[in-house]
Amino acid sequence: MPSDAVQTRTAPGTPDTLPFWGRMTRWSPYRAVVNVIYGSPRRQFLILAIFPVLWVLTQHLGPMVQMLRVSLTSAYPVAPDTETYLTLEHYIKFFGDSIFWQPFFRTLAFAFVFTFCTLVLTYPVAYFLARHVSRKNQMLMLLLLLIPFWVGEIVRTYAIMILLGNTGALNLVLKTLGLIDRPIPFMYTSFSMGVGIVYLTALYMLLPLYSALEKLPTSYNEAAADLGAGPWTRFRRITLPLTLEGIGSGCTLVFLISTGFYATPILLGGPSTTVFAQTIAGFFHTAGDQWPTGAAFASIMFAAALLLTVLFQRIIKAMRKGDTK
Amino acid sequence: MTRGSRIFMSCIYWAFVLYVFVPLALMILMGFKDSKFIGFPIRSWTLDWYTGVFDDGAVVSAFGYSIAIAVLSTLVSILVGTWIAVLLEGRKFVGRPVVFGLAVMPALVPGIISAIAFRIYARGLGIEPGMGAIVWAHAVHNVPFVVLVVMARLSTLPKSQLEAARDLGADPMVVFLRITLPYLVPAILGASIFCLLLSFDDFVRSFFLGGYEPTLPVLIFAKLRSGMSPEINAIATVALIVTAAIGIWAERFTRRMNKDSKP
Amino acid sequence: MTKLILNRRGFIGSTAAAGGLLASPAYLRRAHAQGSGEVNIWTYNDFVPKAFKEQFESETGIKVNVRLVDDQGKQFNLLAAEQPNPTVDIMTVAGHRFLQFIESDLLAPLDTGRLGNWGNINPTFSESDWSTINGEKWGAPILSGMEVLSYNTDYVTAEEAQTWDTLFSEKYKGQTAYIIQDMLSIVMLMMGYDGNFIEYADDHARAAEIMEEVKQFMIDKKPLVRKYYDGGAEFQQMMVNQDILLGHSWNGPAAALINDGFPLAMSIPQEGSYGFVYTFNIAKNAPNGDNAYTFLDALLSSPEIGAAMTKASGFISTYKGADQYLNELEKKSTSFPEEQLANLQFFRAEENELKYGLMDPAVEAIKAA
Repeated sequence: MPSDAVQTRTAPGTPDTLPFWGRMTRWSPYRAVVNVIYGSPRRQFLILAIFPVLWVLTQHLGPMVQMLRVSLTSAYPVAPDTETYLTLEHYIKFFGDSIFWQPFFRTLAFAFVFTFCTLVLTYPVAYFLARHVSRKNQMLMLLLLLIPFWVGEIVRTYAIMILLGNTGALNLVLKTLGLIDRPIPFMYTSFSMGVGIVYLTALYMLLPLYSALEKLPTSYNEAAADLGAGPWTRFRRITLPLTLEGIGSGCTLVFLISTGFYATPILLGGPSTTVFAQTIAGFFHTAGDQWPTGAAFASIMFAAALLLTVLFQRIIKAMRKGDTK
Repeated sequence: MTRGSRIFMSCIYWAFVLYVFVPLALMILMGFKDSKFIGFPIRSWTLDWYTGVFDDGAVVSAFGYSIAIAVLSTLVSILVGTWIAVLLEGRKFVGRPVVFGLAVMPALVPGIISAIAFRIYARGLGIEPGMGAIVWAHAVHNVPFVVLVVMARLSTLPKSQLEAARDLGADPMVVFLRITLPYLVPAILGASIFCLLLSFDDFVRSFFLGGYEPTLPVLIFAKLRSGMSPEINAIATVALIVTAAIGIWAERFTRRMNKDSKP
Repeated sequence: MTKLILNRRGFIGSTAAAGGLLASPAYLRRAHAQGSGEVNIWTYNDFVPKAFKEQFESETGIKVNVRLVDDQGKQFNLLAAEQPNPTVDIMTVAGHRFLQFIESDLLAPLDTGRLGNWGNINPTFSESDWSTINGEKWGAPILSGMEVLSYNTDYVTAEEAQTWDTLFSEKYKGQTAYIIQDMLSIVMLMMGYDGNFIEYADDHARAAEIMEEVKQFMIDKKPLVRKYYDGGAEFQQMMVNQDILLGHSWNGPAAALINDGFPLAMSIPQEGSYGFVYTFNIAKNAPNGDNAYTFLDALLSSPEIGAAMTKASGFISTYKGADQYLNELEKKSTSFPEEQLANLQFFRAEENELKYGLMDPAVEAIKAA
């Protein structure tokens, strides 16, 4: 391996890297590029902005405009020899019929509850990993925790079924221990659904929390302890505020993922746990194909999720500002 | 931290480990069941499901296909997502909320809708169904996760470090490459794990944008039609072991390379 | 932290190379698959027997590309998104969904004159009233399914399984499951109505009234049900786990359980039930139309092929004389007593618009109740 390539990757500030960067910054084509890019703040911003803006406009907005167009069309896919027209009827359908509100609000409520549960459950796990495990073993133990998440959602969900079923592993163990005579029906309840969903969300909470906790200097806590602060106060006044960034990013990720739950609630939920993604998918799957209605409902869900995400980001930002003051 | 709370924490940690590993253990166990359906009781055992995985060319090729798609789409997502995050974080400009909204949008659209939207849009762009189309759809869908994770990390970058570097005469490019980017690496790493995982497990986009070559989840869904057989458990187990083995091998390999290259 | 990053980067690089190697032959194959010597099929797992596929390929030189699908809705959406230049020649449609495909102009009428082996299909399926729409045949029937009452024979008696009422009895509270859409049609039969809505074609008000009554019945019985399910695999798993003791199901998934030695039996209850047929259909503008006919004719050539499809799927073969190639258990799991079969009728598609227009909101309302 050429020595330059190795050196570029060593930590900044070590003296032996200077030759490479020194040579690099004196290399005339490099200087020319830097001068072009950083010629003026305005030009620098334009060069930085042009690719992302083009990308989100063509790649992110394009498909969604497609969805919006379908949601505003009277019929899609268009049958031969029929005229289509623009209409809002598919949106009105949602607001006009209360049977659709229930899965909608249920999904948002589930998303909140599961985000909160995941946070409460994984925070101690991340804390333990980041603060009580030796540096050397941290990565190993974290990677160990990640292994089960590599199993696909469907296969994992069926594994949960044979864990919680009437003849499942859990009932088997309880019966062998003599704790129960008849199997406990765990499956197809909010409980079984929760067991499956935390699997979907834990990872997205765990990693941001871990990375926030991991870089928290122990000295802060020690200093606070020296000043006589109890463990709870230390947690509330130091650890929690300093990990708000991790909490915010974890909660946003989990919330986003939660609004799109589909397969797990279907497979593990009961008769009364229909989520909005199921309602939407129904419009695409049933015999009377109703793509426009499905697309309209998806747009509504999208708007709601976006609104809540932005709101949430604002709150976290405000909280962090409040803490630094 | 008191002793009591420490023990409490470790209990929660190990309970969590138990929770995530029990279904995994059941999955592996069920691959040995001599029946066409998983579940208790297991009356007789067999190795056939596991040995069969390696004989099934469709499974082997679907696995390789899924891995290739996951890696390629992750590379694209990381590049684009990091770029967008660097643009958005700590900068005020007209239209910033719009760009942010657009950047996180793909994650907010339910799978089935985005899959169909992608399919129609791909046809408009002239992208043929197949590997390229799947990579593209996965990459776009995963960008928001990169943006959010990288932005969160970027927001905590100490300004003093940047200023110090600039005071020492480093040009902005060097500051970015030597201070900002290394600081972002843990976030980029975490985001890569998300992306690889999301892509590797995605069914609906792969189905709509794929051709006649199935990814692993598409193949598993099709097999599930005829029942949740131990065969599927065996496939998932073997895929897991192979992925883990590749990861560990790569980790060891690069670690040794590093050691060798350092005096 | 820096060290780990390096490792991860290395990890990504090396897996990309390995994955690329593995995947490239398959990708090349796909790129090749544009010539004339092939036929593209969308179907369920095991619907095209492997042995037959290999033999067909070696004898005709036509390459068979199978794309596995898992659901009618997705197949429809995919085809609709590919319109008007599909990549598919033959796909598998459930008979009662024909009309949706035909109305969206996605299918080509089948020219049975080009299929020398058309006569090998049992006329019950090839000539029945549901199979002719707009004066044309639209597909070759290959397998037949039906809505049945399946029950765990260790707990439920054959007498109890003679009526759909058992599914709604207090005795089996929390131990039943069904697919809502399918169950709505069956409940209509239970109440003496026409689940195909043909009778109400001219009286939409009456149709709405009936659907309301059926919906109310289902909502009243909601506390008794353990699970509204969607797919056959879910049903099988609930049975194996004993989360349910009886339920409505399709015969295919139930037969697969019986063939695996599970104590399960099926019945067509006295109130009656519905049947449906899986057909192989040729897509409109199919890229390899001639090869599609060659393939279909070869597939229909021998009852042994029909039997192989039954063995793999659990559904009943539409071929004359296929049962002679089945073993005793397979025969048992794919046959019903004459008096039960007399209660069976086929799903019809003519009034689907009326039917699903009323049924879809009812399903949502039941789920939301």
